[in-house]
Amino acid sequence: MEKEQMMKVIKTYISKMPALPVAVSKILQISNDPKTSPVDLNQVISLDPVLMGKVMRLINSAYYSLPNQITSLVRAVIMLGINTVKNLALSTAVLGTLGTAKDFQALNMEGFWRHSISVGVAAKMIATRRKIEQKLREEYFVAGLLHDIGKIPLNNRLPKEYVSAISFTDREHTPLYISEDKTLQVNHTEVGKLIIENWALGAGLTDVVSFHHNISDYSGEHRDLLLTVAAANLFSNTYELGFSGDRYPESLPDEVFKELGINWEYLEEIEDSVSAEIEKAKVFLQVSH
Amino acid sequence: MAIRLRFWGVRGSVPCPGPKTVKYGGNTACLELRFGEQERLIIIDAGTGIRELADHVVKKDLPKGPIKTDLFFTHTHWDHIMGFPFFIPMFIPNTELKVFGPVTYEEDTLDKIVGGMLTYRYWPVRMSELAAKIEYFNLKEGTRDLGGGIWLTTKYLNHPILVLGYRFEYQGKVLCTAYDTEPFRNVFDVSPDSPGYDEEAVREGELAAREENEKVARYIQGADILIHDSQYTQQEYLDSKIGWGHSTFEHAVKVAHRAGVKKLFLFHHDPLRSDRELELIEKKLRELIAGRSDLEVYIAREGMEVEI
Repeated sequence: MEKEQMMKVIKTYISKMPALPVAVSKILQISNDPKTSPVDLNQVISLDPVLMGKVMRLINSAYYSLPNQITSLVRAVIMLGINTVKNLALSTAVLGTLGTAKDFQALNMEGFWRHSISVGVAAKMIATRRKIEQKLREEYFVAGLLHDIGKIPLNNRLPKEYVSAISFTDREHTPLYISEDKTLQVNHTEVGKLIIENWALGAGLTDVVSFHHNISDYSGEHRDLLLTVAAANLFSNTYELGFSGDRYPESLPDEVFKELGINWEYLEEIEDSVSAEIEKAKVFLQVSH
Repeated sequence: MAIRLRFWGVRGSVPCPGPKTVKYGGNTACLELRFGEQERLIIIDAGTGIRELADHVVKKDLPKGPIKTDLFFTHTHWDHIMGFPFFIPMFIPNTELKVFGPVTYEEDTLDKIVGGMLTYRYWPVRMSELAAKIEYFNLKEGTRDLGGGIWLTTKYLNHPILVLGYRFEYQGKVLCTAYDTEPFRNVFDVSPDSPGYDEEAVREGELAAREENEKVARYIQGADILIHDSQYTQQEYLDSKIGWGHSTFEHAVKVAHRAGVKKLFLFHHDPLRSDRELELIEKKLRELIAGRSDLEVYIAREGMEVEI
């Protein structure tokens, strides 16, 4: 397929992107329950990259015209009320039924979901260790959760091509984004950028999604967020917490670890806690095999 | 006089005529504001109180020429819109009515929600048959110039649907509405052993609720008149009304005092609240603040008028 045609397919898909099917039944159950607690709602939305993105998009849209960018779901629920957020989750979940497990041909749906949660949880843990201001920490989770969102359209709409990109990585031991460029002429950071921009989720998330495989070219103001997610991503790929197709990720320069004040010993220490968080999330959603 | 306020409906939820509500009145929310010597008319909410206001306007304003007025909805819950079809001036040719309000999540426009009552299934006259010129404007948070020196600031409040508070400023005087609303609270602060308990969310929620309450405090700061939700007593609220989107008498007095408000009008009375109870509450609140605050506290009553 020509690049131009592929981009058209991707853009059409992005314009009505469904929620990840893993969470759909849980969202329907929670959103239809009049007694739903904000705690449950927060949890189910936090565990779904697409839904989280959409909720954030609505909150920051011209519809409410709020003066400051809202980057935390907790704050959104408190400000806008549980009904608004619940309605949004419900309508997104209904759209989500358009995508089913069989759409995940190259990447395994549950593996991808686990990877996204892992990077989100690890990024937030690193931010906590670095004593990042309390109110900013949730943005680290959101950024981690959404960093690979560009893989969803590639995987779902160009499954054959994406299978060959992942095989290329396995055969040639190259990082996946390079294999994507070679086989598809586009990689998941570019597609991800389109999504985040389409959802107008702000510069911080745009930068993380666009530059998480290319931090040396980055000179913007969200360096801390970007480096944290890049480290959390390398950690999750290395320890195979979930699977995002990136079996041979590039390492990060030592300076990154120095700047973040962490090392591999620390990452090894948090591995169990991150795994435990993923398991907790899985029990909550009852992801079926 | 810069601004004159008159209450035409002070009740919340549903109209409740009867022997127990004769003094304070049983009509739902409707406020008449008059600005300056021109007595420019601005109406807030079209609860059932608007029926009598409509008669008043026809008698007082119509002889001077066609009626031109702005109607602001704080939100589109039933008790705040149900009097709309009884606003007689809209059946009179040459009336110009501008309708403002926030929209709900469903993204239906205001003309559909409010004007939707003027269909044959609810009412014998359809929207398209009206003689008046009616325009609808969806509002968000912000500040706008209403012309003639009147400035309006809008603020999202805390209710199950989007509610706007209105702050009118004119000739150095300020009138503010803060209903229907309840204090923002940390809904994530559940018991640590409940499923899904998240310590981070509890902390973040605490911060968010505090900041939102501070924003409301800034919004009402220094108002000459504040009309505040007080549907419940503190006891009723704590017993079973948390999350219903309404405030207590005690909360309204506290925030008004802190914000340096001059006159506080307690408003949106519960349908079950009798005249006798309201009299006692007013007495108790005044005793409570006597000598401790310059705040003047009033229970809003149908027909009550105040000028600043």
